[in-house]
Amino acid sequence: MATTPMTYSPSQGAERRQKQQQMRRMSQELDWKRSDGRSFHQCRPACLQTGATNAASGSAYAEFGATKVIVSVFGPRESKKAMMYSDIGRLNCNVSFTTFATPIRGQGSDNKEYSAMLHKALEGAVILESFPKTTVDVFALVLESGGGDLPVIISCASLALADAGIMMYDLVSSVSVSCFGKNIVIDPTAEEEACQDGSLMIACMPARNEVTQLTLTGQWSTAKTNEAMELCMDACSKLASIMRSCLKKSANLSS
Amino acid sequence: MRDLQPSLNQTQRVRLQSALRQLHSLPSSSSSSPLSSVAVADPIQVNHDDNILKGHGTLDCDGEVVATLCGVVERVNKLVYVRALRARYKPEVGDIIVGRVIEIAPKRWRLEINFSQVAVLMLSSMNLPDGIQRRRTAVDELNMRSIFEENDVICAEVRGFQHDGSLHLQARSQKYGKLERGQLLTVPAYLVKRRKQHFHHLEQYGVDLIIGCNGFIWVGEHVEAGENVGMLVEDQKKTSTAEEESWSFTPLETRKHICRIANAVRLLSALGFTLTVEAIVDTAEASLASNIEINDMLGAEFFVQTAEREVQRRASMVRKKG
Amino acid sequence: MVGLSEGEKHFIRGGIAQDLRSDGRKRLQFRSISVETGVIPQANGSARVRLGATDVIASIKAELGKPSILRPDKGKVSIFVDCSPTAAPMFEGRGGEELSNDLSVALQRCLLGGTSGAGAGIDLSSLIIVDGKVCWDLYIDGLVISSDGNLLDALAAAIKVALSNTGIPKVSVLGASSDEQPDVDVSDEEFLQFDTSGVPVIVTLTKVGRHYIVDATSEEESQMSSAISVSVNRRGQICGLTKRGGAGLDPSVVLDMISVANSVSQQLITVLDSEIAAAEASEE
Repeated sequence: MATTPMTYSPSQGAERRQKQQQMRRMSQELDWKRSDGRSFHQCRPACLQTGATNAASGSAYAEFGATKVIVSVFGPRESKKAMMYSDIGRLNCNVSFTTFATPIRGQGSDNKEYSAMLHKALEGAVILESFPKTTVDVFALVLESGGGDLPVIISCASLALADAGIMMYDLVSSVSVSCFGKNIVIDPTAEEEACQDGSLMIACMPARNEVTQLTLTGQWSTAKTNEAMELCMDACSKLASIMRSCLKKSANLSS
Repeated sequence: MRDLQPSLNQTQRVRLQSALRQLHSLPSSSSSSPLSSVAVADPIQVNHDDNILKGHGTLDCDGEVVATLCGVVERVNKLVYVRALRARYKPEVGDIIVGRVIEIAPKRWRLEINFSQVAVLMLSSMNLPDGIQRRRTAVDELNMRSIFEENDVICAEVRGFQHDGSLHLQARSQKYGKLERGQLLTVPAYLVKRRKQHFHHLEQYGVDLIIGCNGFIWVGEHVEAGENVGMLVEDQKKTSTAEEESWSFTPLETRKHICRIANAVRLLSALGFTLTVEAIVDTAEASLASNIEINDMLGAEFFVQTAEREVQRRASMVRKKG
Repeated sequence: MVGLSEGEKHFIRGGIAQDLRSDGRKRLQFRSISVETGVIPQANGSARVRLGATDVIASIKAELGKPSILRPDKGKVSIFVDCSPTAAPMFEGRGGEELSNDLSVALQRCLLGGTSGAGAGIDLSSLIIVDGKVCWDLYIDGLVISSDGNLLDALAAAIKVALSNTGIPKVSVLGASSDEQPDVDVSDEEFLQFDTSGVPVIVTLTKVGRHYIVDATSEEESQMSSAISVSVNRRGQICGLTKRGGAGLDPSVVLDMISVANSVSQQLITVLDSEIAAAEASEE
């Protein structure tokens, strides 16, 4: 049956704040237990699938814990006439949230910030010279937002691009970490993200060891930054191998 | 197995899984070497002593040859390339394709052919209605719409690529031209392999089947090549009353065959099997033999039966070879 | 939404006249329907309906709110449809807005009755908790994942199935004081099943030439001169009517279409009910 989200009765505000303060206090300690039982350096189980939609050239569906994203790729298609002639192809990214994605019912419009960040993350990986004068459209739809949305969107989008047969230098996988006082916690859920002290998100191409997108918020010491980056790069390469095995599995099915 | 997903019950799902597993275990007829599938950024084994030519889908990265597509590695003499399994349509000169007109531009038609760009059919690459070979005048240019309009379905041949990269078509023979009286189906382009014959006249059904290399398949009533079909549509515009239109409809028997063939094509593309005339006709015959309603051909039971039939056919082919 | 040539249109018209459509269906035959419930775990109720290649998801969320002053004894329901660009690239940004608005308005008309709230397919008075103070706000969201014609019927079917899957938490009212917001205790454990016997389904009849067809694919829809969407409930009563398309219709034709829709909808309701029962049985 359906689970009850947190915002029900009108007098919710106070309760929620209390819960968050409790979490903050707990997270300052060293042996804090995460709500889903994971350890600090354990990511959520990743469930990836290609071929989710039938109208698109390529598509992928990703389910990381409570975060569910579906991405479809159209193209390469003819660019609109208004576009100037260009030797290289164009990549057009669009991220939108459904109205039922967040526990509090949202507006469901396009998220321009995420669209721009997705574009920057994928731009370095796609070989734009392979489809001159045409456009590749990437549409991401977040069905359920359970924390760590942007990393999941980026990883799912690069899987969909590979499924569509667009030439890429490498798969882009992405992971984010949160910091709570002295603790660094990988792949945060929505509740953890709400009361974090700082966050670091990395999108990288593991086989080439290049970082395509990096965002950091909060106050970090250099040592902690190094530690967090190493943790992320390691997690990214493991995620990329999961993505690769998913692609090989679907390749075997169709041959 | 992408488009059609009929809802299967438990036993049907089990039967389908076992049939697909058997198909994979059977050695494929094409190559005897094991398939080496790669994903993006997987390194490709090469012998660094020979000067290997790096072909499509590969990239040189610090001396290593790395794949940029997901697919299968093919080696031909010194050429190494990656062939994508679900590749987009790649036009070659001489391909027979079916396309739809999306725009009329000065002296040319622009067609959508399931490629990344639109293809161009020049007025000079098209036979004039009166059949005389002459220079195209300005009057011909103004009357382009009388030959082909927007959204018309046309069968043509790939003439080649121009220096600016655009694709040009030609439709100079009698067998090319406008297609009417039928339906157009879209299947993934990798399911259509290049053969000697793409025009098929199925005599026992009275149906024309044109398998375009770009994945557009035309199933329609049989029309003799060169018959002036254009006149029919013009009559339509004048006589818009229902009774006079109804005598020009396709007869019911032919229509039933057209629908059966079309459903066979939809079914085979959903299963991911290569589309050949034999496969399509076999499926249609099997549906006639088992007395399945045309509509039920897209249902779960026939879906599973077709997969099982394909397993048997391939197994018998392997036995004949071995 | 690709265009069709004159020849193809002629072929489709011929098929409809001869009662044999492009995929072999008869004029009044639906495509195969497949139903899944509970696809959105964090919503109160959800369903996914596949009608041929058309794929839609409906999700229902219930939140506490205040009833409107005009109707203090009824809860509130709002229906909103979104066409996502994953269905077709032209739905990006504002492209799908017109279609989404059309669908939302048509669904509201068919399921929610008039402005007074009377005659609604969904029983609004079952959503009230404290008269004039606290009621349930139902947010029904439709999402179009893949579009191949007949979106309205698929969305209405998805909403019906989602409503049958919905559980409204049990609420006990504490504090009978006369101030503005009485305290309510929302139970996490017990749920009330929503009563869907009165929820109607929508059947869209598309008129092509002289005949009507049910469940048009997007190719057949491009051919239509006019279409009527009729919402019928189990008792055979008409709950809403929307006409689309520019061509004018003779009133006798309209009445004929309504009676045809009535008979077809009874079959559809039967099919949907059996699908719902099968989906619930497989869940347990």
